[in-house]
Amino acid sequence: MNEVKANGKTTSCRSIGQWLFNPFRFIAGYKAFLLGLGIILISAFLGFLGNTHFDGVLDVHTGVEAPMWFFFAEGIIDWLSLVVPLFFFGLIISSSAIRLTDVFGTQALARWPYLITSIVMLPEANRRFITYLISRSNPTASSATLNYADMCIFIFAAVVTVFMIVWMVALMYRAYVVSCNIKGAKAIITFIVSIIGAEVLSKLLILFLLQEKVTQSMKAP
Amino acid sequence: MKILPTECPSCNSRLKAKILVCQHCQTEIQGEYELPALTKLSQEDQSFIIEFIKSSGSLKEMARLLRLSYPTVRNRLDEIIERLKQAENNEEN
Repeated sequence: MNEVKANGKTTSCRSIGQWLFNPFRFIAGYKAFLLGLGIILISAFLGFLGNTHFDGVLDVHTGVEAPMWFFFAEGIIDWLSLVVPLFFFGLIISSSAIRLTDVFGTQALARWPYLITSIVMLPEANRRFITYLISRSNPTASSATLNYADMCIFIFAAVVTVFMIVWMVALMYRAYVVSCNIKGAKAIITFIVSIIGAEVLSKLLILFLLQEKVTQSMKAP
Repeated sequence: MKILPTECPSCNSRLKAKILVCQHCQTEIQGEYELPALTKLSQEDQSFIIEFIKSSGSLKEMARLLRLSYPTVRNRLDEIIERLKQAENNEEN
């Protein structure tokens, strides 16, 4: 623990690296919860503007139009699908008295790289390039022309998204370690099990529960 | 201030206090006295425990003082408790 004594008071050193990869050392509980929930909702709203779906704990897809509530529901489902198994593992494995607000709050805040993803996915160029790719792979679809500027923007967004996914997983792991006080092999194994389970669960929930409702709302006059 | 040695530099066994001196009249008392349990911890851990007691045992207050999150401070305390238990077990064995 990096701590320094200044004027008789002990305070912690805060490096940029720690803020980027382990902000939970400094922020957790209800503060992280409110901040994280805000980030999830803003990401969902930007996702709605750019038709970017976070349709799974780690998934990012673009192109399908849906009502605004659908994007918010995706964000909440993604978050809760992972928090529940992690909290469960924390309760049975950790020897510390873990708090619900720490686990929920830090995992919400760990999703913040997807705010950047939702921003880089905003330009219409991404959807134009995807339409072009679809038209290339499907001979029956209407033909679209290749725009090199669109391609560059799409590649940039794709590269940023890959980095954001890796960063987010690293943050989720750190959030789990700090909020549940689990270390070593136990932490790694239970985290991998949780994230795979959460990915499946979130996919199923989004596909079966929400898509049916979207179909209903689309049919409504 | 000099740091109290707690382990033998030669064999790493735990040291005991043999002579106590009154700073006022220089009276010396000889015997074999166990060092307090907290001396089994590092200086950093001891400082943490002292701050914790001064904070009336409030982890929230400690988190505020150290500008760290609550679970970080709780984890630190749990680590210290674990180290104390290990030290006690080592002494018993």
